[in-house]
Amino acid sequence: MSSKTSAKDLVLDPIFNNNPIALQILGICSALAVTTKLSTSLTMSFAVIAVTACSSAAVALIKDRIPSSIRIIVQMTIIASFVILVDQVLKAYAFQLSKELSVFVGLIITNCIVMGRAEGFAMKNSVSDSFFDGLGNGLGYSIILMVVGFFRELFGSGTLFGFTVFTKQSAGGWYEPNGLMLLSPSAFFIIGIFIWVLRTWKPEQVEEA
Amino acid sequence: MPLNKDSLPNTFLVATTLCLTCALIVSAASVTLRPLQLENAQRDRRNNILQVSGFTPEEIKEDGGIKKVFESRFDVEIIDLDTGDDARVECQDAMNKAKDKEVNLGEEYDQLWASKVNPEKGLSEKLDKKADVCGIKSREKYSEVFIMKSLEGKPELYVFPVRGNGLWSLMQGYLAVKPDFQTVVGLTFYQQAETPGLGGEVQNPDWKALWKDKKIYDDGEVKLAVIKGNKAGNDYGVDALSGATITSNGVTNMIDFWMGSKGFGPYIEKMKNEDSSNTNAAAGGNNVK
Repeated sequence: MSSKTSAKDLVLDPIFNNNPIALQILGICSALAVTTKLSTSLTMSFAVIAVTACSSAAVALIKDRIPSSIRIIVQMTIIASFVILVDQVLKAYAFQLSKELSVFVGLIITNCIVMGRAEGFAMKNSVSDSFFDGLGNGLGYSIILMVVGFFRELFGSGTLFGFTVFTKQSAGGWYEPNGLMLLSPSAFFIIGIFIWVLRTWKPEQVEEA
Repeated sequence: MPLNKDSLPNTFLVATTLCLTCALIVSAASVTLRPLQLENAQRDRRNNILQVSGFTPEEIKEDGGIKKVFESRFDVEIIDLDTGDDARVECQDAMNKAKDKEVNLGEEYDQLWASKVNPEKGLSEKLDKKADVCGIKSREKYSEVFIMKSLEGKPELYVFPVRGNGLWSLMQGYLAVKPDFQTVVGLTFYQQAETPGLGGEVQNPDWKALWKDKKIYDDGEVKLAVIKGNKAGNDYGVDALSGATITSNGVTNMIDFWMGSKGFGPYIEKMKNEDSSNTNAAAGGNNVK
């Protein structure tokens, strides 16, 4: 990945061609936890995009000074600082959402995508390239979150962003909500189907058996 | 770069500089955003008080928002938990001393914080093992009580802040009771981290609805409890949460503690006496006790 690529490719490539969740199967845990509703998925997406982009840029900025013996810890410290920053901002400006996301904002620190980009890309590339790469990978993560959140909220609660789409039977409508959609395993199914569709569309992503 | 980046001095230099920079950024953010966060937390608590008192979100919106509804309908009293007397002045003094500045009680009195301050500061007291049924170890000396008044100024219900340990977490919430101090209006939690789906169901509206119209005291003792296999029509029992025995017991202990003599018992006693002697002078009510 060290060949010269344009900013546009860096941002767009991880969305479908090299998606961190669908192709690299990284960062699934939080994709299960926060996707029962679109509003939390969206907030989480912004948080992860901000953290990956900023921490990758910051790591790239000081990459020539980082001693290799403590480089992972240095990356962790930078990532952790940005995560706390994002958490604080959410608590101040989106209190209700940050309450619903609870520990999962803090757990972005352990999201493999963020570390993976810092160690795998930012340590070898320029600041701007790393920023765009972080942005793109954040977006790649987000698109999965939004797709999973869309299906889980629609079929689990009959709503989208809290607005009623299918009127539930309990509210006098026709829709019987699918309780499985509100539980974590459903996210596995949706991610699995997403990967299936993606690899049918782009067969080069299929791994050799 | 002339300096060998893998050398020991550089390692220390990078580590130190990085830690200092990150610490600076994080603390700066924390300090600047703190007022906003406090305001949010207060609004959230007030929202919970309104909802436990039976206001629906739609009503709150119609009547001009959380702040307006809360401030127009609720009185906040600060009482001494041991005597049940109004203790705004004492609490103010103790807080000013503890924080070493003029404290705005309405915004800055954090009971959980107060309960953990060194008892010498006069804000808290240690609980002995026997009294400490809900596992909170020490209790604040002064507590807020929220009183909802009718438009004529008559108390309609009382909201008490309560807390107790569940399985994983400290559950913090509000208990609303009618002025007879016997009938429950509602119970809600604004902070808990019990197992989602099991103990976390303390937040389930259906379960919370079970608390309405339950009775608290039987012959002066707290009888209200969360019971496994509760019989229908039992005024003193609420169905336990399935798969969450420890959380359920935690809620029972919490009610037991806060409605008992170490909690709001003295205050409730005092209010009842005042009511029955029906004197205007508050001092009259005290003497009865």
